Amino acid sequence: MSRPTPKAVLEAYGAIARVNAGSALAYRADYVVGILGLLVQVFLLRMVWEAVYADRGSVDGVDLSTTIAYATLATVQYWLSNPWNFSVIPQRVREGKIAIDLSRPVSFLGQVVAGQVGTTAALAPFALVAVPFTVLVGGAQPPPSVGAGLAYVVSLGLAYVITILLSSLVGLSTFWTLEVGGFFMIYRMVSQFLAGALVPLWFMPDWLRTVAEVLPFQAATYTPLAVYLGRLAGPDLAAALIVQAGWIVLLWLVLRLVWSRALHRVVVQGG
Amino acid sequence: MTVVRAHDLVKEFRRPKRFTGAFGGLRTLLTRQYTTTRAVDGVSFDIEAGELVGYLGPNGAGKSTTIKMLTGILVPTSGQVEVAGVVPWKERERNARHIGVVFGQRSQLWWDLPLRDSFRLIGKLYDVPREQYHPNLERFTELLDMADFLDTPVRQLSLGQRMRGDLAAAMLYNPRILYLDEPTIGLDVVAKERMRAFVAELNRDEGTTVILTTHDLDDVERLCSRIVLIDHGRVLYDGEVAALKARYAPYREVMVHLAHPDEATAVEVPHAERARAEDGKVWLRFDPETVQVADVIAAVLARHQVSDLAIIEPELEGVIHQIYAQRSVISARE
Repeated sequence: MSRPTPKAVLEAYGAIARVNAGSALAYRADYVVGILGLLVQVFLLRMVWEAVYADRGSVDGVDLSTTIAYATLATVQYWLSNPWNFSVIPQRVREGKIAIDLSRPVSFLGQVVAGQVGTTAALAPFALVAVPFTVLVGGAQPPPSVGAGLAYVVSLGLAYVITILLSSLVGLSTFWTLEVGGFFMIYRMVSQFLAGALVPLWFMPDWLRTVAEVLPFQAATYTPLAVYLGRLAGPDLAAALIVQAGWIVLLWLVLRLVWSRALHRVVVQGG
Repeated sequence: MTVVRAHDLVKEFRRPKRFTGAFGGLRTLLTRQYTTTRAVDGVSFDIEAGELVGYLGPNGAGKSTTIKMLTGILVPTSGQVEVAGVVPWKERERNARHIGVVFGQRSQLWWDLPLRDSFRLIGKLYDVPREQYHPNLERFTELLDMADFLDTPVRQLSLGQRMRGDLAAAMLYNPRILYLDEPTIGLDVVAKERMRAFVAELNRDEGTTVILTTHDLDDVERLCSRIVLIDHGRVLYDGEVAALKARYAPYREVMVHLAHPDEATAVEVPHAERARAEDGKVWLRFDPETVQVADVIAAVLARHQVSDLAIIEPELEGVIHQIYAQRSVISARE
C-alpha cells in the first residue's frame, strides 16, 4: 500500500486536534474555575510587586509597570500553554488506550502533539475573555514597537512548540513509572519557576539565572515576554530566537530517542 | 499465500520485584531486582490469505499478547513476525493501514462523538477515498443494523451496539487482515449471532483473513475451520477443528428414548457400547470409523420400540478441556 500524502496526514492530525478540542470543551466548568484562579493569581502578583516596589521608582533598573506587565502576561501564557492535564500520555497509558493509539496508521507522537494543539485551540477563546480582565486587574503595557510585537508572535509560537515537546517528554516517563502524579507536580513547580513564570529572570541571583539559562524552560516563557517588553532587541533578539529554534531541534531529537526506547516498554494495562 | 507469519515469537515482561513489610514500598521503588514473566514462549504459525483462524487459550495463556505483537503494539522480546510482508513493530504505521483490530474490552470509537462522526474520523485517519467510504458505510449500516443509532454519542450506546460500531470501524478501510480480540464478550445471543454473520460474510465475500481470539467456543464452531490452541505461551495444537475432534473425541453417541423404559439396560448393538442408561434412555457410543450411524439406529429399531432418538456430536468445549487437563503439545496430523 502506498504512503499517505502529506495532505491526508495533515487532515488526519486536524481531525484528532478537533476531537480533543471537543473533549476539552466538554469540561467547560473546569475552565471557568481556571479563569477565576488565574484572575486571583494575577491580582495577588500585582499586590506583591506593588509592595516590593513601595516608593522606589525602579528595582534593578526595571520599573513597576514593566514588572507587572511581565507577571500578568507570564501567568496568562503559562496557564494557556500548560493546561492542568498537560499531557494526554499518562491517561492513555493508565487506561490501556495506548493499544488503540498504536493501532492507528499515524505516529503516536504526532497524535499527542495534535491533541495538545486541539486542547489549546479550545482554550484560546477563554483567553480572549481572560486577557482584557487580567490587563484591567494586573495592568499591562503594549510592546514598544510594531517590530517587537511581531517578534513576540514569532517567539511565542516557538515557545509553544517547546512547551509541547517538554510536556510530551515528561508524559513519556509514564512508560517507565506508570504512576506519575507526584513527579508531575514537582515538574510543574520547577518548570514554572525556572521558566520565569513566577518571578522574572532578571530578579534572580546570578547563579540561579545561569541555571535557568542553560535549561529549556526559560525559552518557553521568559524569552517571548522579554521580546514583548523590548528587553531583547537587535542581535540579542536574533540570538534568543536561534536559541529557541535550537531547543526545538534538540528536544525533538531527544523525544524521538526516548519514544523509541519507550516503545519497547509498552505494557497494555487491563489485558 | 502466507499473510501472517510468526516464528519462535517470545514476549517477556519485566517488572521490579515487589517487597512487602516495613519500607516495602520504598524498597520496591529502589530495587534493581526484577521478576520476568514469559507471556509468549516460542509461538510459531503461518496463516494463509483468506483463512479464518481461531486463536484459543485460557486466561493468561498469551493470546492477547500475541495479537498485540501482530498489530505492532508490542515489540517482541525475540523471534520473527511478519504481516503482509511488513514487520509490524518496525513499520507500525504502514502495518496499521492493512489491518483492522477489534478489542472486545476497549473501544476505538470516540466516547463523546456520535457514531457517524467516529466513522468519519476513521475515514480521515486511514485516508479512505469517498467512493470507497460511502458504499462501505452504507453496506455496514445495513448488515449490522446500525441505522437507528448512527447519530447517538458512543457513550450512550449499549454494549452490543458499540461492538457493532467497533466492528464496522475496523472494516471501513477494507483491511486485508482483521484481528478480533474477544469480540463477543458480554454480548447476548442475538448480538453474537449478528457479529458472527458479519465476520463470516466479510471472510467469504472479500477474502478478509480473520484471526479470532475468544472464550466462546460457539464463535469458533460457527466461524473457524482452523484453530491454534495455546497455553502458558506455547502452541498446544494447530490444525483443523474436525481433526482435533476426531483425535480427542473419536466417538459419536446416539441417545435412544425407549417406549418401554425397562428395556433401557437390555439394549445390545454390535460395535456400540452402552455408555449410560437412565430414565428409559440409553446412550450408545460407537466409533464412526467402524460402524455407520444408520446401522446403529437400524439395529436398535429392529429390536425395540423407540419414542425418540438423537445423534450427539462431540463438543469442542469438552475436547479443549481435555487438552488443557493434559497440557501437552500435540502434533497436528492433518
